[in-house]
Amino acid sequence: MPVVTLSSDSHPLGREIAVRAATALGYDCVDREILKAVAERHDVPETDLHKALDESPSPFGISSKNHARYLAYIEEAALAVLLKDNVVCRGLAAHLYVRGISHVLKIRILADPQKLAGEISSGRTLSFEKASALLKRREGFRRRWSLAAYRVDETDPSVYDMVISLTRIDPDEAVKTIVETTGYRKFKPMTYSLKCLKDKALASRVRVTLMEQFPDVTVQADGSSVVVQTKALEREKQKRTEVIKKLAGEFPEVAAVEVQILPDIFRKAAESFR
Amino acid sequence: MAGKLELLLLDDEPIVGKRLKPALAKIGCNVEVFEDPKQALDRIHQKTFDIVVTDIRMDEIDGLEILEHVLRKSPRTKVIMITGYAMMAVAREAMEKGAYDFISKPFTPDDLRKVIAMAAQALGSPIDSETADPEEPSEPAETR
Amino acid sequence: MSQKEGNPHHDLADQAMSLEGRSGRIHAVEFTRKALLARRRYSLRLYIYLGFFLIFLIAVGVATSMMLTMDVVEKKLRFLEIANEYMLEIRQARRFEKNFFLHGTNLNDALENVYQAKQILNDNKEELGKIIGKDSQSIILFNFIRYEVLLKRLVDLEQTKRNNPDYPQRKKEVESELSRYGQEMVSLANHLMKKEKEALSEAILRSRHIHMYSLVFLLFFLVLNAYLLGSRILGTIGRFSVHAKRIGSGDFTPIPPGRRFRDEFTDLAIEINQMIRELESREAVLIQSHKMRAIGTLTAGVAHELNNPINNITITAHMLLEDYDHLSDEERKEMVRDVVNEAGRSKAIISDLLDFARESGTQLEPLDLPELLRETIHLASNQIRLSGINIELQSRGHLPRIHGDRQQLRQAFLNLILNAVDASSKGGKIQVLLVPADEPGYVAVKMVDFGSGIPEHTLDSIFDPFFTTKTSGKGTGLGLSVSQGIVAKHGGRILASSVQGKGSTFTVTLPVTTIPADIDSGDNLPGRPA
Ligand SMILES: Nc1ncnc2c1ncn2[C@@H]1O[C@H](COP(=O)(O)OP(=O)(O)OP(=O)(O)O)[C@@H](O)[C@H]1O
Ligand SMILES: [Mg+2]
Repeated sequence: MPVVTLSSDSHPLGREIAVRAATALGYDCVDREILKAVAERHDVPETDLHKALDESPSPFGISSKNHARYLAYIEEAALAVLLKDNVVCRGLAAHLYVRGISHVLKIRILADPQKLAGEISSGRTLSFEKASALLKRREGFRRRWSLAAYRVDETDPSVYDMVISLTRIDPDEAVKTIVETTGYRKFKPMTYSLKCLKDKALASRVRVTLMEQFPDVTVQADGSSVVVQTKALEREKQKRTEVIKKLAGEFPEVAAVEVQILPDIFRKAAESFR
Repeated sequence: MAGKLELLLLDDEPIVGKRLKPALAKIGCNVEVFEDPKQALDRIHQKTFDIVVTDIRMDEIDGLEILEHVLRKSPRTKVIMITGYAMMAVAREAMEKGAYDFISKPFTPDDLRKVIAMAAQALGSPIDSETADPEEPSEPAETR
Repeated sequence: MSQKEGNPHHDLADQAMSLEGRSGRIHAVEFTRKALLARRRYSLRLYIYLGFFLIFLIAVGVATSMMLTMDVVEKKLRFLEIANEYMLEIRQARRFEKNFFLHGTNLNDALENVYQAKQILNDNKEELGKIIGKDSQSIILFNFIRYEVLLKRLVDLEQTKRNNPDYPQRKKEVESELSRYGQEMVSLANHLMKKEKEALSEAILRSRHIHMYSLVFLLFFLVLNAYLLGSRILGTIGRFSVHAKRIGSGDFTPIPPGRRFRDEFTDLAIEINQMIRELESREAVLIQSHKMRAIGTLTAGVAHELNNPINNITITAHMLLEDYDHLSDEERKEMVRDVVNEAGRSKAIISDLLDFARESGTQLEPLDLPELLRETIHLASNQIRLSGINIELQSRGHLPRIHGDRQQLRQAFLNLILNAVDASSKGGKIQVLLVPADEPGYVAVKMVDFGSGIPEHTLDSIFDPFFTTKTSGKGTGLGLSVSQGIVAKHGGRILASSVQGKGSTFTVTLPVTTIPADIDSGDNLPGRPA
């Protein structure tokens, strides 16, 4: 059956709809609860994982290297969950990396702006201007965050299959609509889309493994072959290729590894100035 | 094994038909191979197939059109679409129009056999996707 | 039907220059810089200073000549005064002389006057000599002395008249002589005065003329100076604005020396040439990066196409593996042969694209346009087929070759084709027509599509960089601007016409050239008349 990713600008609302939709569909509902397991598995503080989803890297908060690593852990875990099928995945930035897969129904729930403003300012009543300024700022922040982390603008409606604004649609109706939409043949899983999701999950697992040593790697998987891209200087090239091939080759699903080393222009330039 | 599965395979690449015909015959399919979508359509109108495997993109007639014709003729026929370069929109359109499954090139004969086995199961006449002497053990067909 | 012109034509020499590519251009800029600096410097500042200095000199000249004439006039006036006094004394003397003869009055008064007159003559002897000349002066002096002598004799005569018997006789003699010399003296003085008056009015007239002529001359000089300075500045500015327009339209030939000397504008030209170099390198980057984008678009089609042979290889290899033991040698061979062939096919599919993607320096060569267009269409053929569109190429008659850069022209045409593909819907048609252009010496490539067309109000903007009506992922809006830049470099232009809802036609005109295949950079910079 189709899987659903659900994201919302309001946490409580998103959870409410996700849980109700999952119940109606007989699916599991997965959200930030899994972060606990993720934190344990990789031995990182759970709060940092939450922070990685909510904040941008900063000198006072999470370093950008850790930020990328934490997000990769979360992505790996979320993809593994999605692969199990029959699941509603709320948040976890899934809508940003599970793209181009036909049986994943991507839903965005927009809270009523006024309520949202109240929620963000923890119950205080704000003037209309202040509230809308606050929402604008937050939207701007989310846009920058998502663009920085995944090169996707999460406030752009074309990212989603369906955007439901709760200003005009009741939560009941929203749940009903979601359940109905999952029934469309369009979102039926097929060999191809399942394969795409599997490829993505494998790629993210390989990436997590490689990231310890090569924070900038990108990984693509196609069936049992994996393509890894990383930046390196000419002299490191051979060594790196070997290391990556070995690490990635340890996955039982991986039969072939291709390593593409891109010239590291910045480091090269930096070295040449020395 | 209850009777042979009637299967039509349409791809404008001759090698696909040439090599897959024996491969599918092994799992108990009666395969008719076509390269020309027009001839295939004629044949579809003559005979009811259990399974139709068709490439989506061909020069004259689109795989989606074939799909429509097949389902109009016989709604129970399982149509499996093959595509060279899958895009999500096309995949969804094919499913929307009633395709049974969608696989992308390149695929191995086993990939296709698995899909066909599932289709056969859905048709109520299960077949074994494993060939008589498999080269390597393959995973059991997944259920959805 | 509305039209929008992409670009003006440029002359062939320019275009030849503009095609030499980056390194050629750097040479050209360097060469032009030398040529610009090789001339004698004649700065605008110097010119202006010189102009004002000349005006000042003229003014000084005028003032001096005026002062001189004033001086002359003043002198003349003074002389007239002297002459007048002299005249008065003489007249007085003569009056006393007459009274003496008529009434026998005293002669001493007359003598007094004569002494006065003599004093005047003596005082102004120098000046007088200068003005009337030594001869006239001696005549006057002679007459005067004569008169004085006579007068004195008369006085003597008068004192001794009692004991002089022939006194009346002598008196008569002296009287007549006296009156003769007196007359003479007066008339000479009169003459002198008259002459001086004439000279005076002449001097005044001359000074008036000097006034007038110097004013006229000053006016003339000012007009001339203004004209020369103006035409020097405005002419150069005009030339620069022509260059600016040309550069704006994508022709990056450096500004050549236009005059025989150099000045502040030369510094400007050198700076602009430097800027051109900069601009060009940026455009090259732009062209290359847009090319990579176009390649990105083409990859979709190629990936599709490529998956077919790869799939064939996969299937065949798997079946070979699976059935190896049951197959005859012949069958196995056939399968391996299939694999080999399909591998070759894969290579062929991407080699076109790889060739197009290759970053190559600008290379000029004679090009067969139909061939070039065929290649370009082939390059996009997967994309075109994927969109379910028919494309046809018609080339009418034999057309002369053109000269240009194969890669860049392919890119320019590719952009137009991809635009047409984007505008057409499934089942649409695109026509590529190659015809002689209306202008002699040009060929035209018409890209006709029957797609959405372009609304009149956007037709003016489609060539603008970053103008796009496509979604952000699909279009950058640089396609037409890049194509236009490339075509302009080749001395051609792109013309768009469209009927909304019916389709669009993009006409690319390119000059058929007879430029030799190898154009050296810099060495044969197009000379331009100074
Ligand atoms: N053949 C055409 N038919 C209709 N509209 C066109 C055609 N060619 C260009 N246009 C219009 O002109 C705009 C600018 O075209 P241009 O090629 O410069 O950019 P683009 O195609 O949007 O982006 P890119 O070429 O980078 O993909 C297009 O967005 C489109 O609206
Ligand atoms: Mg374009």
